[in-house]
Amino acid sequence: MTPEEPRRPDPDALLAATRAGQGRLKVFLGMSPGVGKTYEMLRAARRRKAEGGDVVVGVVETHGRKETQSLLRGLDVMPRKPIEYRGRALMEFDLDAALARKPELLLVDEYAHSNAPGSRHPKRWQDVEELLAAGIDVWTTLNVQHLESLLEVVWKITGVRQRETVPDSALSRADEIELIDITPSELRERMAEGKVYMKDTARVAADRFFKVENLTALRELALRRAAQTVDDQLIGAMKRAGVEGPWAAGERILVLVGPDPMASALVRAGRRLSDMMMDAPWTVANVERPNATAPSAGDAQRLRDAMKLATQLGGQTVTLTGDDLVASVIDFARRNNVTQIVVGRRERRGLRLRRDLIGALLQEAGGAALHVITESAETPAPELRTRPSLRDLPWRGHLGAFGTVAVAASVAWLIDQYVESANLAMVFMLSVLVSGIAFGLWPAVLAAGASAVAYNFFFLEPKLTMRIGHPADVLTFAVFFAVALTTGWLTGRVRDQARSTSRRASAIAAVLAATRRLSGSTGAEEAARALAEQLAAATGARAIVLGPYDGDLKIMAATPALTTLPPGDMAAARWCWEKGEATGHGTGTMPMAAWTFRPLQGVKTRSGVVGVEPSAIATEEGERFVSALLDQGAVALERAEFATVAAGAEALRRTDQLRSALLNSVSHDLRTPLSTVLGAATTVIDYGDSISKEVRDDLMISIREEAERLNRYVGNLLDVTRLEGGGLNIRNDWVDVRDVLVAAAERVSRRLGKRHIQRDFPNELALVRLDPNLLEQAVVNILENAIAYSPDDTAIELAAYEDRNNIVISIEDEGKGIPTAELARVFEKFHRMQEPSDRNERGKGVGLGLSISKGFIEAMGGRIAAASPIHGDRGTRVLISLPKAPRAPESPA
Amino acid sequence: MSRYPKILVIDDEPQIHRFLRAALEAAGFEPLRAETGAEGLREIARAAPAAVVLDLGLPDMDGKSVLTRAREFYQDPIIILSARDRETEKIEALDLGANDYVEKPFGVGELLARLRAALRQRSHAAKPPPPIIRASGLVIDFPRRLVTRANQPVHLSPKEYDLLAKLAQNAGKVMQHRELLLSVWGPAHVEDTQYLRVFIGQLRQKIEPDPSQPRLIVTEPGVGYRFMADEAEP
Repeated sequence: MTPEEPRRPDPDALLAATRAGQGRLKVFLGMSPGVGKTYEMLRAARRRKAEGGDVVVGVVETHGRKETQSLLRGLDVMPRKPIEYRGRALMEFDLDAALARKPELLLVDEYAHSNAPGSRHPKRWQDVEELLAAGIDVWTTLNVQHLESLLEVVWKITGVRQRETVPDSALSRADEIELIDITPSELRERMAEGKVYMKDTARVAADRFFKVENLTALRELALRRAAQTVDDQLIGAMKRAGVEGPWAAGERILVLVGPDPMASALVRAGRRLSDMMMDAPWTVANVERPNATAPSAGDAQRLRDAMKLATQLGGQTVTLTGDDLVASVIDFARRNNVTQIVVGRRERRGLRLRRDLIGALLQEAGGAALHVITESAETPAPELRTRPSLRDLPWRGHLGAFGTVAVAASVAWLIDQYVESANLAMVFMLSVLVSGIAFGLWPAVLAAGASAVAYNFFFLEPKLTMRIGHPADVLTFAVFFAVALTTGWLTGRVRDQARSTSRRASAIAAVLAATRRLSGSTGAEEAARALAEQLAAATGARAIVLGPYDGDLKIMAATPALTTLPPGDMAAARWCWEKGEATGHGTGTMPMAAWTFRPLQGVKTRSGVVGVEPSAIATEEGERFVSALLDQGAVALERAEFATVAAGAEALRRTDQLRSALLNSVSHDLRTPLSTVLGAATTVIDYGDSISKEVRDDLMISIREEAERLNRYVGNLLDVTRLEGGGLNIRNDWVDVRDVLVAAAERVSRRLGKRHIQRDFPNELALVRLDPNLLEQAVVNILENAIAYSPDDTAIELAAYEDRNNIVISIEDEGKGIPTAELARVFEKFHRMQEPSDRNERGKGVGLGLSISKGFIEAMGGRIAAASPIHGDRGTRVLISLPKAPRAPESPA
Repeated sequence: MSRYPKILVIDDEPQIHRFLRAALEAAGFEPLRAETGAEGLREIARAAPAAVVLDLGLPDMDGKSVLTRAREFYQDPIIILSARDRETEKIEALDLGANDYVEKPFGVGELLARLRAALRQRSHAAKPPPPIIRASGLVIDFPRRLVTRANQPVHLSPKEYDLLAKLAQNAGKVMQHRELLLSVWGPAHVEDTQYLRVFIGQLRQKIEPDPSQPRLIVTEPGVGYRFMADEAEP
């Protein structure tokens, strides 16, 4: 793997990309029942249909939910096929009919469904597979708890074992996953409001299942699973593009095992690590040396067991092989974006080859963390090791060389009497070779010299002198010395070159990792911190990043943490900042400073100064790396600065927007009623005598109406001001919500026109403690909105009911509804929909009413939400839920 | 066909129609009603009203584009309803061919006066301008280039006279700064509104009964000036 070689796309990735002719699968993924997956799927389907798509509903479970059912209207729904089972006819999805119909897009609800016995496939996801193979696009829904690999996790979280499961591969083959996400409390609210259908028998179990903690955990699983699929797709894209990993994405674990007793322990460690990382994907790799001796039968069996265990625990398995084992492991890790590597080390029967793997991984694993599991540890919590500085002290190699030669001399002494002295030279030659391989060039040269001396001293006649008796031995000695020297020189150089190559590779990996961290940082602080850490790691010394602040420099980050610099160093830093040149230790400017400061020169601006303490290792590669880091860091800081400026401008723009919305509103909404008042009044004054009494009365009425409208508007403006300024005065009292609703309905009665309000109150309703005036105003605003947006001769339904914790008020109209895009914004200030359906009401809304309702309701501890459409494609429902015991702390679920 | 002049009101506010209908009928017009720009253009083409009252804030299209399109086939007066704080909008509308504007909120009397002035102007346009204009005791005798107040001759410089003549010949109508500058000082000075301020001030000193409360030459802030002649003239 030479760095110069251009990356070629991974063949597997290319293969996957050419899965042509297949239908596309989209999965609507949710954390639990009731989040609205089917609902969302149907809405999306309606949109697709409206755009002219050939959409057919294969099977959809509405669970009797009205909204969901109404969405089915107008869609092509396939009849189900009855399947006889134990005397009962189960209505199942008709796969053959769907294949025959062959729509562009088929909706198949509930991916995890188990088909009735006697169906073609036992599971619905298999039906889907057949549909996809037939080239039909399929949309389906899935709750995360049904994923096979999560069974155990879900069981641990919820105490409920899922029977209907889907293998993970069935989800990962999805081309698109849409996560339907609502918060657990929202879901519980929806359940409380009866929107989530449930059989009575299931209620007890459900209550246990739908605890907030459970939902939170499930939600996290769903989010992660969706994110992970995005990761997978990203990686797929990267592989196709031939970009080398690792790419910043979710955690991915690689466990390396071999044929030895540790294999199973390593697999379990991998699983635990995966659990700790919220079920991160993990792969167990059997690393095989092509030229290694075959493992014993027992070890081979252990390895097979370990791989089986890995599959059972939800890991993937792979066999890695190659002449250069380390290279294949590293290559696999990069290609698959591995962030965590688990490897074992055996203490006693120390397999030197395995230790080499660890060492090499430490050097080359790039951005991945290495977990070394030792055999002796009982239940080893995976121990996180950062890259250590395995830098050999220089004299250690020389000492080692002497040792090796001493060993060789002893061996030669032992066999001296059996072999000719010339042959003993070979033993010494071996020691030179070993020194070269193990310790490098100079120790090898040293070993050559030492060997020559020892050979002459101990084994050439006369022994124990440096003299050489036989003239022939002179030749032997000379040749020996020359060969030893050459061999030592060569092996040492080869070894050193290999070392430096691997160092370069690790430097490149480090630059990549640093770049990724820097470019992933979102703020100046974070970028500075990352830069300081990377610098410190690269140089093995302290590093500091300073940025401009209030006309001076301040410390933005330091590794290890540091809050001040001595004045001398600070002066050097300032000089560096002002002149843009390196200062301090080792430079021509203020060389007495303890640090070397260098400017961070970005694309357009100087973004700061970094300081590094003189480091023990000042190699050329290290220097290049530091330069690369500085460039990256400068750009990252500069970008962070631009982002801050942009964010400030955005905030200002939003304030401006609000202000101009307010001005527009005042300009239009005050002036229009005033025009009517003034115009009608002057008409009566100027022409009072020449117009009929009816016309005059009508004008007077219009004056009154418009004055009321003005009053409402001014009231709204005041309410908003009070909400904004915190001047809201809440006077709580025990209130019968029905009374408030009746009063609110009365207040808007004159503006109803040809619409009517249909009340639906229960005979009994618990009292709640709240401010009746605020509630009334909130309801009036919603009613006025409903009136403005619904046509004549329709009903506005005003209902109240209670559940365990809340009193719920529901206000429904039959207007044209709110587009989904606007649904989230209707409660925003000055948000107004394009055109009220009633001309008489046009312009009367100011876009304040609903925001005030929301403000009031929330100020009283309640919640407000809007849903639309509710009848087919029409109608809006606003729900207000008021806690029965306001101000009480949230009861533990 | 009714013998009353038809006035088309284009406004999306039903409340405005409500009182304008009453006022227009009482003032001897036949009111017509349109609530959108498209509807308004159709009505103009169909009913050929004597004048149009157009609100610039319409739901379906910009009032100014209604104006532009109406002017392609309709030459009778169009009076704009506009908000006070929209000077540029007013000027644009006048440039696009509106005859006059009324600021919201407005009194019915004001609107009807503008309407009558515009209609009168329309009928004058066909005939040569009247040789003599009277306004609150001021008499302008165009053939003799003679201006008298309370039967006393008023001495005006040539530029002052030109300015007064331009305003008086368009009595009742707002004259934009540019129009006045162009006609009196020529195209090189259309931006020099300070000339206008000075000369209008001098004119007022000479012709207004009370120069501190001008009634003959009324300032239309941000737009121009308007000469108020006696209305009684047939």
